[in-house]
Amino acid sequence: MTESEVKVGSVNLGVSPAIDGLIAELATVGYFADRRLATALHLAISLGRPLLLEGDPGVGKTELAKALALVRQQKLIRLQCYDGLELRDALYEWNHSAQLIHLRASSEQRSAEDIEREVYQPRYLIRRPLLQALEEPAPGAVLLIDEVDRADEPFEAFLLEYLGEYQVTIPELGTIRAMSTPVTILTSNRTRELHDAIKRRCLFHWLDYPDRDREMQILQSQVPDLPDKLSSQITGFVQRLRNRPFADAFSRTPGIAESVEWAKALVALNTLQLDPEIVQNTAGVMFKQREDIQALEPLLDELLAPQN
Amino acid sequence: MVLGDARAGKFAENLTGFGRMLRRAGLRVDTSRIKLAQQALTQVDLGARIEVMAALESTLVSRHQDREVFQQLFDAYFKDPEIARQLLAQLLPQSKASKTPAQRSPRAQEALHVINQPNRKTPQPREDEIKLDAAMSASDRERLRHADFEGLSASEYRLVERLAREIPLSLPRHNARRYRAANRGDQIYWPGLMRELARHDGEFLEIARVTRQTQPLPLLVLVDVSGSMERYARLLLAFLHQATHDLRQTRRAVFAFGTQLTNLNKAFRLDDADAMLASVNEAVPDFGGGTLISEAIRCLRQQYRHAIVGNRSIVLIISDGLDTGDPAMLDEQMAWLCGQARRTVWLNPLLRYDEYQPLAGGAQVLARRVDQMLAIHNLAHLESLASALSQLLHRTKRSHPRSRSLS
Repeated sequence: MTESEVKVGSVNLGVSPAIDGLIAELATVGYFADRRLATALHLAISLGRPLLLEGDPGVGKTELAKALALVRQQKLIRLQCYDGLELRDALYEWNHSAQLIHLRASSEQRSAEDIEREVYQPRYLIRRPLLQALEEPAPGAVLLIDEVDRADEPFEAFLLEYLGEYQVTIPELGTIRAMSTPVTILTSNRTRELHDAIKRRCLFHWLDYPDRDREMQILQSQVPDLPDKLSSQITGFVQRLRNRPFADAFSRTPGIAESVEWAKALVALNTLQLDPEIVQNTAGVMFKQREDIQALEPLLDELLAPQN
Repeated sequence: MVLGDARAGKFAENLTGFGRMLRRAGLRVDTSRIKLAQQALTQVDLGARIEVMAALESTLVSRHQDREVFQQLFDAYFKDPEIARQLLAQLLPQSKASKTPAQRSPRAQEALHVINQPNRKTPQPREDEIKLDAAMSASDRERLRHADFEGLSASEYRLVERLAREIPLSLPRHNARRYRAANRGDQIYWPGLMRELARHDGEFLEIARVTRQTQPLPLLVLVDVSGSMERYARLLLAFLHQATHDLRQTRRAVFAFGTQLTNLNKAFRLDDADAMLASVNEAVPDFGGGTLISEAIRCLRQQYRHAIVGNRSIVLIISDGLDTGDPAMLDEQMAWLCGQARRTVWLNPLLRYDEYQPLAGGAQVLARRVDQMLAIHNLAHLESLASALSQLLHRTKRSHPRSRSLS
């Protein structure tokens, strides 16, 4: 038995078919997950826990939720977080103008209580993503709470109840429980540290940049016209860029999304091989800051040197 | 590697032992997480090491910076728990220290000393010429306000330290995105208005309104704890700890740097300033060493990028600027830091010298990059820090040339 295996008693087992299946299914829609990620995802689904994905921008956190919704044929419900996000944007809001019309149209013989009861009916409720996810019938939705680190602390505090119980209370209507627990994926770029209480409710996974082979797979799947040699060169270039110490010189190193965009741009320009000139001309696809493009120039020869 | 025999009950025991080991290494692993890990292991194949590792990592780790420790301990523990224990001892050198009786804080010590020796007339040492009580004369106060920290005696130093904690530092506030109900405001509070309408048959007597909440700007403090700064650092830490106490939850981040960067947030969450200083003393491995500011910023950038909140932070760099690193490297890192921050202020104790000029390479870079340089060597200047910070925000960041105050 090698060290890379675990023995439980005298039973020596293989790999989990459910996780294998998940990897294969995700691959069919162009998402190439490694076994660590697939394991975390499998656990999130089977244990009914939210999965908190952290990682640098552009490593494929949001894409995972999209791919998962596709392969499981579930509705993707996305909540994009931002500073100042309030419950009325995330959960529900009363349709005040419709309520007002109802009030105006009501006959004056009715009591105030009757009218109040009438205007707080589900039909006057505007459902925002979190409520939609609870009300989605089986098999339930894939709920993506994107960039949760951008929301502020009060919103995070609200999420505690939601993620812990998958229920919300609307004072006028009562408690609404999930018809089918949504598969929830939270993403964070770590612009701030999330509260530990949120993390305790979630499974955690740090998503790294993919290795060379996986990135090549992604490129070939996303850009079918990409020649093999060029795909290998692009992958080598961005991998070196990310792994070398001078990656620090850039305010943001290119993620997978950028390398895919770059590959598409190079194909559109009928490029067959990378050279310093073409890299400089297309650097704007990879980098969004002028300083980064300038910092790239002296490193080009090193980055384009033949692979060992 | 043997995880244990599930039939003999070793499995749960091993898992708990692993959880406790992670906790000793500083990971936030509680019983509920260990239980969750146990559930997770029922969902994966125990024959596949990578699945077991991923399952344990996703349930027992919650911070990026803990992953490496987790992986090292996982490798060691499931190979041989004894190796893991040795590894843990290396990670936590202080864990072997014998438990000494709890030492009293200097203040408690001082208080007890006073009680034990009532009215005893002993020759007073020279440094006690200034009375150590709050009721000192105005001239004493005035003299201390302008005393250079570096020249203070031990007693004076303690007194100044205490006074520093009393100076309020109110950080500039900005409009938050969130609203709150208010009598005056530029937007209608619809839920409130609807309740009003329902109560009064569709009529309203008052229009409920909402107004923007305000909140203090996030603060990032980088304190130089190198040899030349040691004394100022201690005093300023005490001052900042007290003055920004209400920001302690999320909007304040404090780091010390010398030759490396140390996260002081945990120490700063302690309520007592003396306890905080004791904790900082333990946490900072390079007190009194050299200064490598660029290395500190680089580390901040790699590991604690979240400490800079969306271009809104006020960054205070407390340093004498006597950097021993490469100025070009420092310039590059400072450019990044200033680009991320709302305002960057350099608090420089060397400004106590009238003829001070930033001639050292590091000081030149700092002076060029920061929005303002302020003196910080006595209490009068500490008091002016708050007003200087609010003035900073009235200036447009890019349209005005960077200015310095040498007062």
